[in-house]
Amino acid sequence: MTDAAVTMDFHPRPTAGEARPWAFPAPERGALDNGLTVLRCDRPGQQVVAVEINLDAPLDAEPEGLDGIATIMARAFSEGTDKHSAEEFAAELERCGATLDAHADHPGVRISLEVPVSRLPKALGLLAEALRAPAFADSEVERLVRNRLDEIPHETANPSRRAAKQLSKELFPASSRMSRPRQGTEETVERIDAAGVRAFYEAHVRPATATAVIVGDLTGVDLDEVLADTLGTWTGDTAAPRPVPPVTADDTGRVVIVDRPGAVQTQLLIGRIGADRHDRVWPAQVLGTYCLGGTLTSRLDRVLREEKGYTYGVRAFGQVLRSSSPDAPGGATGAAMLAISGSVDTASTGPALDDLWQVLRTLAAEGLTDAERDVAVQNLVGVAPLKYETAASVASTLADQVEQFLPDDFQARLYARLAETGTVEATAAAVNAFPVDRLVTVLVGDAAQIKEPVTALGIGEVTVVTG
Amino acid sequence: MPMGHTATAQAGSGGLTATEHRLANGLRVVLSEDHLTPVAAVCLWYDVGSRHEVKGRTGLAHLFEHLMFQGSAQVKGNGHFELVQGAGGSLNGTTSFERTNYFETMPTHQLELALWLEADRMGSLLAALDDESMENQRDVVKNERRQRYDNVPYGTAFERLTALAYPEGHPYHHTPIGSMADLDAATLEDARAFFRTNYAPNNAVLSVVGDIDPEQTLGWIEKYFGSIPSHDGKQPPRDGSLPDTIGEQLREEVHEEVPARALMAAYRLPHDGTRECDAADLALTVLGGGESSRLHNRLVRRDRTAVAAGFGLLRLAGAPSLGWLDVKTSGGVEVPEIEAAVDEELARFAVEGPTAEEMERAQAQLEREWLDRLGTVAGRADELCRFAVLFGDPQLALTAVTRVLDVTAEEVRAVAAARLRPDNRAVLVYEPVTADGDDASADEDETDEHEGADQ
Repeated sequence: MTDAAVTMDFHPRPTAGEARPWAFPAPERGALDNGLTVLRCDRPGQQVVAVEINLDAPLDAEPEGLDGIATIMARAFSEGTDKHSAEEFAAELERCGATLDAHADHPGVRISLEVPVSRLPKALGLLAEALRAPAFADSEVERLVRNRLDEIPHETANPSRRAAKQLSKELFPASSRMSRPRQGTEETVERIDAAGVRAFYEAHVRPATATAVIVGDLTGVDLDEVLADTLGTWTGDTAAPRPVPPVTADDTGRVVIVDRPGAVQTQLLIGRIGADRHDRVWPAQVLGTYCLGGTLTSRLDRVLREEKGYTYGVRAFGQVLRSSSPDAPGGATGAAMLAISGSVDTASTGPALDDLWQVLRTLAAEGLTDAERDVAVQNLVGVAPLKYETAASVASTLADQVEQFLPDDFQARLYARLAETGTVEATAAAVNAFPVDRLVTVLVGDAAQIKEPVTALGIGEVTVVTG
Repeated sequence: MPMGHTATAQAGSGGLTATEHRLANGLRVVLSEDHLTPVAAVCLWYDVGSRHEVKGRTGLAHLFEHLMFQGSAQVKGNGHFELVQGAGGSLNGTTSFERTNYFETMPTHQLELALWLEADRMGSLLAALDDESMENQRDVVKNERRQRYDNVPYGTAFERLTALAYPEGHPYHHTPIGSMADLDAATLEDARAFFRTNYAPNNAVLSVVGDIDPEQTLGWIEKYFGSIPSHDGKQPPRDGSLPDTIGEQLREEVHEEVPARALMAAYRLPHDGTRECDAADLALTVLGGGESSRLHNRLVRRDRTAVAAGFGLLRLAGAPSLGWLDVKTSGGVEVPEIEAAVDEELARFAVEGPTAEEMERAQAQLEREWLDRLGTVAGRADELCRFAVLFGDPQLALTAVTRVLDVTAEEVRAVAAARLRPDNRAVLVYEPVTADGDDASADEDETDEHEGADQ
């Protein structure tokens, strides 16, 4: 076309050099005398050390009517101990330059500590204190409960949080903990008190069923000594592993609109459940899901964003809800949430869903191309060294593996399995993951404007809810 | 060939070093070696941001950033994304008030591809830019605006505070996302002119960090970027200087469908790059950073009047920086009660300053944030570009943490006393309305939005 195009020297696109070997790090596994499992991994250069603690305190262990108590307990760990008040504890942690986050999810409670390696012993000491002797003071628990109650309206007002809550309610039977909000509802949270939190802690928190993952530049750190002085002082009895209930879901194709009069966009969340990492199909499912909606150049965004401009971006993903060990009495009974999410401007809601379904139908009818599969493998395998540059990312994946009863080399082997997965397998996995007639669609948007066009698509019965 | 000099490892830089070079066409290059992981980060900062936009064309710099991913002479359509991702890399671009950055993190053996791609669009974007991509990305950006700002509670707070804190006509009065009306008004010719004006090698800094061979890398940079002509068509941005303090309390009350009352405020603070700005960073950390800060302890723990309370710092080099207070109220608590408590804490701090222990905590927190930033090749590449573009010296990135650790408690107190005052802030108060309730306020609010767009 014009001026600027001809004024520089063009060169052919360069070819790749020789790849340098990289492998997902192998942790060293051991145990302390108190039964705590420890995974450690030296990552030279990573001055900020990441520590992840897994506690076998899953949400389905919460007492009836007390949804949210695991969350309150997790938060209360950093609100004082037998040696420090809540304010002192927070101050001491920050004096180490540390951050400490704790959250409760279906598989259990996770605590994440990050701290410069020079202050690791002190920060691990504080973490051990929190696990060994949490204060759970009445006033602090009461404050956390009130704070949690204050958060709920903020979550309800957020379109993507609201959509996620509705999808869980739709998919899972009312008797399943998964059907209800992870952090509880107003009704359940307001019943939580310090005595209840302590009882939950005493029933489900002990070193024998916990794991610590420690990753970072450990050069010159005598980790055995540091651990003996810190997490090694935590004591507790033993307990049999909790049985993991099977995950079931009703994925009858249907649409639920959460009414938001006047909303300028519609939040979409389209989902069902499918295979977890124990299933042989996992690598193919990862590959197929990436081709469908992993990035801006995947099938969904190629149409919905880059051709039509309906959205800033729509993503397809698979996220493990909970897994059980294949050696458990019931075998591997876990599941992942398979979903497509994004938001589109209100007027484009009908056309965008129509296109989205067309993308799924075309995928089922024609399958993926070899070129698509190749690019996806090259990306998923190639980005590994980038993705795992920091200690925190390595620690988080190792802790996920522990939580999901996977071998420590699962991620390391996954890359070879992805490379071996062919186009046909990836297509089959993607089509099985997202069958057009077995998807529950949640739309948070202006029902008066979107109900009619969405009903006309015939993707399932449409109901409208409020709140 | 480029000329350069080699820096030695400086105290506090964690052993990191960087070398600087300049091509004949004016492109500045910063290289930093690190062979721990087989990855390399490429980062390109163009010295253009929303502050360079003119009236009626807000959002153009950001819209243009999107167009940079729509192909160039040798790269078709979404090829930039496809090629980088297919090579096992990750990439993106972002636009702020003061700059636009583009970055790729690649497995080492694919570094040359990223350089080739960046050079192709720097030199030949206009060969591919057409109406179709302009119209498409205009819609994408409008949906980005809806998703990130218009369709979330308090989503337009930052835009409103900015508009209050920087006066009408000031280059930072509007935020990078721009207004819907201006996004609609932008033409293909605007985009072409924007490229010709701002996307020149002498208006950019390129950094490459990681598992690289510096000599080979410089050779590739010379090969791909060396023939792109420089030009000097760019006008300097409008003057962003303002008096040290606002001199009065500016205030806006928003009646909107939000889940709780909120008190937000923007304080005018020293420019980035000054010792006073680092002191302000420490003051805001003591007062409102993390779970042991004064405001968190007072409002969330003791008074129990807030769900969350904190301060953030937006560092700006071309205009006063901005200290951003954000408090969401608990239950039925009224804003004046919060405001009185905040003012009391700030006034006390202005007199007493931080305790030795508070200084230690704040410095430890900021030190860890720096270690995090510099702990990845991409973070390091971005910081090297930042200091090169905004302050003319990339080496400053490697010593930034030592400057924060060098600040004294008295300096922290002094900047708080001078700046964290009621007469140096713009206040934004949110009062919730229900969807079917207070219609009058809702309409009023919508009018404000349109007025905002016209400014």
